[in-house]
Amino acid sequence: MATAELVHEPRARSMAEGSPGPIGRDPNTRHFARVGWGFSSPAFGVIAAFTIFPIIFAVVLSFQNVNVTGSGFGLQGFTTANYHAMLTAGLWHHALWFTTIYTVVTVACELVLGTVFALVLERLTKGRGMMMALLLIPWSLITVISAELWSYIYNPTYGVLGEIWHVITGASPPNLLGYPLDATIALMFADIWKTTPFVAIIVLAGLVMIPTELFEAAEVDGATGWKTFWKVTVPLLRPTIGIAVLFRVLQAFGLFDLPYVLTGGGPGTSTQSLAMLGYNTMFTDINFGPGAAVAVSTAVIVLVMCLVFLRAFKQQVGKETISA
Amino acid sequence: MRNRARHGWRRWINGPYIGAALIALFILLPMYWMLASSFKSQSNVGAYPPQYFPVPISTSGYHAAFADGFGGFVVNSLVVACCSTALVLFLGVFAGYALGRLPMRGKYPIMVSLLMISVFPEIAVIAPLYLVMRDIGWLNSYQGLIFPYTAFNLPFAVWILRNYFLGISMSMEESARIDGAGPLRTLVTVVLPQVTPGVFTAGVFTFTACWTEFLMALSFDFGKKTIPVGIASFGSQFTVPYGAYFAASVIAVVPIAILVLVFRKAVVSGLTSGAVKG
Repeated sequence: MATAELVHEPRARSMAEGSPGPIGRDPNTRHFARVGWGFSSPAFGVIAAFTIFPIIFAVVLSFQNVNVTGSGFGLQGFTTANYHAMLTAGLWHHALWFTTIYTVVTVACELVLGTVFALVLERLTKGRGMMMALLLIPWSLITVISAELWSYIYNPTYGVLGEIWHVITGASPPNLLGYPLDATIALMFADIWKTTPFVAIIVLAGLVMIPTELFEAAEVDGATGWKTFWKVTVPLLRPTIGIAVLFRVLQAFGLFDLPYVLTGGGPGTSTQSLAMLGYNTMFTDINFGPGAAVAVSTAVIVLVMCLVFLRAFKQQVGKETISA
Repeated sequence: MRNRARHGWRRWINGPYIGAALIALFILLPMYWMLASSFKSQSNVGAYPPQYFPVPISTSGYHAAFADGFGGFVVNSLVVACCSTALVLFLGVFAGYALGRLPMRGKYPIMVSLLMISVFPEIAVIAPLYLVMRDIGWLNSYQGLIFPYTAFNLPFAVWILRNYFLGISMSMEESARIDGAGPLRTLVTVVLPQVTPGVFTAGVFTFTACWTEFLMALSFDFGKKTIPVGIASFGSQFTVPYGAYFAASVIAVVPIAILVLVFRKAVVSGLTSGAVKG
């Protein structure tokens, strides 16, 4: 038993790296492989039933005339009309544009601000644990709650932000959520408040893993703080930042909760994200075919971004994460 | 060297501490506003200029929240989050062990697929799941949320657990096998106790994700509302009961904040183990 284990472990490693498996597998290995499939198939079954099957079904729905009645639903033939309608109507283009700008701006701000936070906390000699705990609070906050909170802060009649504005400038409080650009900035700020701490935790973890000798060597060589940051810190943080950015970008692209509660997609449809457009098409207009088309378009964009990233970061993801 | 010792007043008043204080203010000011507003009376919540301190302290927001059925939302959230977490951990431990320790073919494509599923936008599965659940009568049911939550959180949990399984030494496992223990017994009695930190990490992440999830709960549940859906549905088109919102919010924040703070190390290790999810 023990020898079999010793023999098959390197093989498992080699398979994990993608090389073809051994041709003749000894019975012990085959036995443990069967046990492995037995152990993991319940999990794979649940995942397949509630994620992979629905994704395939969503693609089917997006190419069908879907008829939803009081008692059930019927598929009434193949059509490309759902995509045609989506691509010709302005709503989808606007939602795609809004979601993209929103993702780029918020992730960029969160990354810069999160790195600043991490650099500050890394310099703390005491109380770093307490600050880490503090950073986790916005992360664990229900987004609906933070959206309600910011809508109260932004409120033009009794919001505290308007009052501060009034005290400083003497002008009457602005109606932040009443104009497309202001509402977009207000949404972005609420997002940045909630997610920057999350980015800061990840960057901080990457920072403390950099060996101190490297900074000491840079100091001995006479490098200034700024130069050390760009030549030592940033290059070594690249993998950490890369992974944080990937997950943030994909998450931001599925944006729904925050605009749904804070702006309702308004004013008009100016802050309607792709996910919101999909949801509204399905549940407000009861139009499941076109709704599925919007949802599938979102998923395809996310999938393409994911594949591009995996290619770009193959080194890190392949070596460090997959074979740990 | 970088964190050099400082003396006198410079021990506390220096760049890093001023920076840390600003960060703390950035995070805490909105949180304070939520807490303070939850204790304002009905008329003071909408007062202009706004009250900076809730004087007199009023619990009318809390009464309003519970009058609007908040107690039921908490029960629903607890049931859904606890069941999903238990299922994720049960299924995830077996799958993580198999993928980390047993000689299966095709591990690499499996792990990459799991990674992709864990970041997939939920909106993609809403239409099909809604239609099918409507057909089989699962809308408004606990299982209608528990199974999708389990499926969406399992990939990440499997990743975390697998990394922990890979990190422990083989020797105890081997001696258990030599002693004649089968794979199941080896896993439960010998391997599992060594990966408890990983189980906590996966558990806290799953629980937090289920507690905060909004889109599926909004789409699949009209009767059995969870906390996010319940809070979003307070009030009507014409009244915005902020008092009730913030009272409910404070109550919803407390358990998850305690959980996250108690398992702080587990959360940070999960966030930084290379597989990150928000």
